[in-house]
Amino acid sequence: MQGFLREWSRNRMLFLMIAPTLLFFVVFSYLPMIGVYYAFTNFSFDGGLFGSEFVGMQNFRFLYESGVLWTLTKNTVLYNLAFILLGNALQLICAIFLSELPGKWFRKITQSVMFLPFFVSFVLVGAFVFNLFNSSNGLVNTVLVQLGFQPYDFYLNTAPWKYIIVFFNLWKGLGYGTIIYLAAIMSISDEYHEAAKIDGANIFQRIRHITLPLLVPTFILLILLSLGGILKGQFDLFYQIIGNNGVLFNSTDIIDTYVYRSLAVNFDIGMGTAAGLYQSFFGLILVLAVNYVIRKTREDYALF
Amino acid sequence: MKIRTERSTVLFNTIGYVLISLFALLCLLPFLLVLSGSFSSEQEIIAEGFKLIPDQWSLEAYRAVFSNPEQIFDAYRVTILLTLAGTALGLFLTSMAGYVLSRQEFKYRNSLSFFIYFTTLFSGGLIPWYILIVNYLQLKDSYLALLVPVLVSAWNIILMKNFMKSIPESIPESAKIDGAGEFTIYLKLILPLSAPSLATIGLFMALGFWNDWFMANLFITTESKYPLQFLLYKILASAAVLKTSIAGNLSPDFKPPAETLKMAAAIIVTGPIVFLYPFVQRFFVKGLTIGAVKG
Amino acid sequence: MSKKTIGLLMTTALLATALAGCSGNGNGNGSGGSEANANAGAAANSGSGEAKAIDTSKKVELVWYVLGDGHADSPKIQDQINAMLEKDINATIKLNFTTWNDWQTKYNLLLTSGEKVDMVFASTWADYYKFADQGAFKELNDLLPTYMPETWKAVPKQDWDEATVNGKIYAVPSTYPEYTPDGLVYREDWRKELNVPEIKDLDSIEAYLDAVKTQKKVTPINGKAWNEVFTLFKAYHGYEQIGGDSGVIVAKSYDAPRDIVNYAETPEFEQFVKRMKTWSQKGFWTSDTLSSQKEAGDALKAGTGGAYWRNAPGAGGFIVDAEKTNKGTDYAYFPFTRFHGYAMPTLSVNNAMAVPKSSKNAERSLMALEKIRTDSRYFDLLTYGIQDTHYSLSDDGKLAISPPKGKENDKNFKGYGITSWGWRVTSLAKEQQAGGWTEFPALMEEFKAESKPNIFAPIIMDYKPVKSQQAAVNQVIQQYGMPLMMGLVPDVDKALETYRKQLKAAGVDQVLAYVQEQANAYFDEKGIQ
Repeated sequence: MQGFLREWSRNRMLFLMIAPTLLFFVVFSYLPMIGVYYAFTNFSFDGGLFGSEFVGMQNFRFLYESGVLWTLTKNTVLYNLAFILLGNALQLICAIFLSELPGKWFRKITQSVMFLPFFVSFVLVGAFVFNLFNSSNGLVNTVLVQLGFQPYDFYLNTAPWKYIIVFFNLWKGLGYGTIIYLAAIMSISDEYHEAAKIDGANIFQRIRHITLPLLVPTFILLILLSLGGILKGQFDLFYQIIGNNGVLFNSTDIIDTYVYRSLAVNFDIGMGTAAGLYQSFFGLILVLAVNYVIRKTREDYALF
Repeated sequence: MKIRTERSTVLFNTIGYVLISLFALLCLLPFLLVLSGSFSSEQEIIAEGFKLIPDQWSLEAYRAVFSNPEQIFDAYRVTILLTLAGTALGLFLTSMAGYVLSRQEFKYRNSLSFFIYFTTLFSGGLIPWYILIVNYLQLKDSYLALLVPVLVSAWNIILMKNFMKSIPESIPESAKIDGAGEFTIYLKLILPLSAPSLATIGLFMALGFWNDWFMANLFITTESKYPLQFLLYKILASAAVLKTSIAGNLSPDFKPPAETLKMAAAIIVTGPIVFLYPFVQRFFVKGLTIGAVKG
Repeated sequence: MSKKTIGLLMTTALLATALAGCSGNGNGNGSGGSEANANAGAAANSGSGEAKAIDTSKKVELVWYVLGDGHADSPKIQDQINAMLEKDINATIKLNFTTWNDWQTKYNLLLTSGEKVDMVFASTWADYYKFADQGAFKELNDLLPTYMPETWKAVPKQDWDEATVNGKIYAVPSTYPEYTPDGLVYREDWRKELNVPEIKDLDSIEAYLDAVKTQKKVTPINGKAWNEVFTLFKAYHGYEQIGGDSGVIVAKSYDAPRDIVNYAETPEFEQFVKRMKTWSQKGFWTSDTLSSQKEAGDALKAGTGGAYWRNAPGAGGFIVDAEKTNKGTDYAYFPFTRFHGYAMPTLSVNNAMAVPKSSKNAERSLMALEKIRTDSRYFDLLTYGIQDTHYSLSDDGKLAISPPKGKENDKNFKGYGITSWGWRVTSLAKEQQAGGWTEFPALMEEFKAESKPNIFAPIIMDYKPVKSQQAAVNQVIQQYGMPLMMGLVPDVDKALETYRKQLKAAGVDQVLAYVQEQANAYFDEKGIQ
């Protein structure tokens, strides 16, 4: 308490500057968090949040009882890891090229164009995928047949879907993520590069030894930020591309789609909240663990 | 030596041009399909799928959207004002919070960072949040409902903090010695130095407000207060519902072309914001930080 | 973000369940048993005797919600209604619309959050029974005789019974009997051209689809085909789902309602999925059908499809529209009721109005509803819009014709149509059912002649004791059951075995026992054997 008072008297202005933001999170995030209690009740209108019957962990049963929770968790984690790692790597590469290439107009135009997919809704993404891969007049199969190959029935085979889903996720986020890295590159002082040039370093060496190391904190930060949501996820992406196609679920089912299917007929607040709570806890523990490791090795890279 | 450097640069540029062109093409192509699809006839889309050049041009989809031009203009106005106000206010709060959290001197920067980040992990779900906004804050059908609950995001604040960490701590320190207050330092020194990050995060915020239909969907009941995205979603949803069995009971006079409409909506929404991007790019200038420090 | 995730879960459930709900619960009830309880009659007496003056001295504003979209002129119409209401009962209405975006989510929120709402649309396919059972609506038994005396007397006792949950009435049902059985819309001109026998059973359906595929070279059900196949499966075997969407749990036939089974275990199911495997191999639908977002009806209209599932009034609307767009084509409809020769009318609460528990002005809200249901000035204005602007009356004054006289050629004319389903009353209605489809009246006669009361839809089930099993079963149905039924599995026998095993593992037997128990209780109460 005394420490706080000392800090308060020393940095009063800093406190005041962050106060509105903290108030925002208290009101719009922390207050409604009492709703996690729904996960432990059998909701009824008469009782409301606190008057409803307490049922302990019963609402979690539909997740683990069927025995698929492990597979789902694994699927979700793997998909998200692919999204996060590949996505960030790709965005990083694009940002580096875009910052170094000489053609000004080329840079401006391609950068804008790469942003376009961000505006394409997942419903339309789903429509694209269907138009590309469907068996009757899909573009891919039309081309295959014209080239003299056998048509391939995408919708009866689980194998290609991992790649299709990952591809469209990367595609949609490319422009958005690239900007973050571009902004980070912009804050790298020109002096470093100039000095390296004088030392005779070529462009690859400069990127390897100057740009990349200076982007590492941003890279780690973005990965850390995403890890918390590792079990959540991209419901629209999966739902719009796969739909209710049980044939493909083996390789394309994540927790969100599973929960959605389970509760679509008879939605239950308790069970929906329970699933969300599982996702949150998993993410929290992961982030805390990774952040702890990072803090031990390179303190300034840590998220908190 | 000199030749070797040049050769590596040529190699780098070649790889860069090829790769970036390829990515840009992959991003552009589907968008062109959406564009041409929005000018196709509904029948053609249904029967033959997407085409780069439709056999038959049609303005049907745009006619369906603009059948009530007044409504569209209202919606544009709401969205533009919302985007401007939301971005300005949000950026102010976000940059201020980011600055505070980036100050080494501030003892609680880590615990408060965690306090903010934690909100991205746990949420009480839609219902308590809705009850708060509607029953306690009484924001139903108010423009404030579109603005206040989404004003700042933890993600942007932490990103901002990270960007500002690269500003040398010596800058605020020395200003402080000169007798400047923290707010003045933030306003006069830090903000000008943060142009690229402000542009980036401002862009993200503007996009967020521009694209948001979720808030209006839950909280706005008066048609003239609908933002653009929600109006379009509403038209799409009505078109979709006409195909369900519920439609047996609906007035069949108005049959919008559901498929092409989706694409026209995407085009209409994308249009104006595309012009924002080149504006933002102007702030992506290298070496801004160092120049300011020297000056 | 996670707020949105949960929202989306409920949200995207919306259209899917709404549609499933429509097909599943749509064919509601007619006359649920002769010995229905007597509370309605008794209360009616007390109501007519009670003529004490109602205090309306305090002006109130009522908030009403209906589904769907408003119309550009809705505010104007609301003003006109309010002018009358203010004079009559010293109240005004603020009529809000959920819009069709995520209406299910919003509807849930309205009721769950306790937001101040005085009246909402209610329906079996919007979980009326579940909400009523969980206490989302106000009990109306004591209020109806006083505040809606005419409606109280006019609505048949049977209809009130169908709105009754745990002995209490929670909604004012519309008075608008309908039949909405499933069936197939198909190309009658193609059938004749291809010399296929008239469609009257499963074999003739197969013959037609086969001819369309082999001779017209068109995928017969081109798009999402699940509804077509699943409703066909139920109707062909006479299986009835219980209390809405009960998944794989069905009553085996109308005549033996207590014989409730898990259909996946029946030999009929085995035969049917084997047959569907052959249909799938013949290309009656595409292998991507479960991922397709395309409506088979769009293809049928475009000439690239041959069949489409629709309920009877929906088929009418579809056919009228399709024949208008494609001059010279001829569509016909085969209602699945013909498999077993009976039809069930919809439940009265298929469309109704209810007062949420949070309402402070239930009395005035009911009085306003009474006005709308009994006074054609109110009814016409709210249902059809402003006379001569949105519609004009036919010469005999019985039909509201839109567009009105003088506006037929006006391109900018936008017909007025809101979801007025909740307050519809046959005696005031001025529209043609099924979009004016000429064959509809004959079809209605057919249904009426073979009408049987719906004894399945009103069984109230919230699955509380078995909810985790039910969730797991629903998941298994989608993951294993749907591909199996659509013939998309390489080995039917093996897939069937897996499906049955997975259902068991998910706890289908407990769900079956629960449904059986609920059904028995209902049948005992109603004296159905």
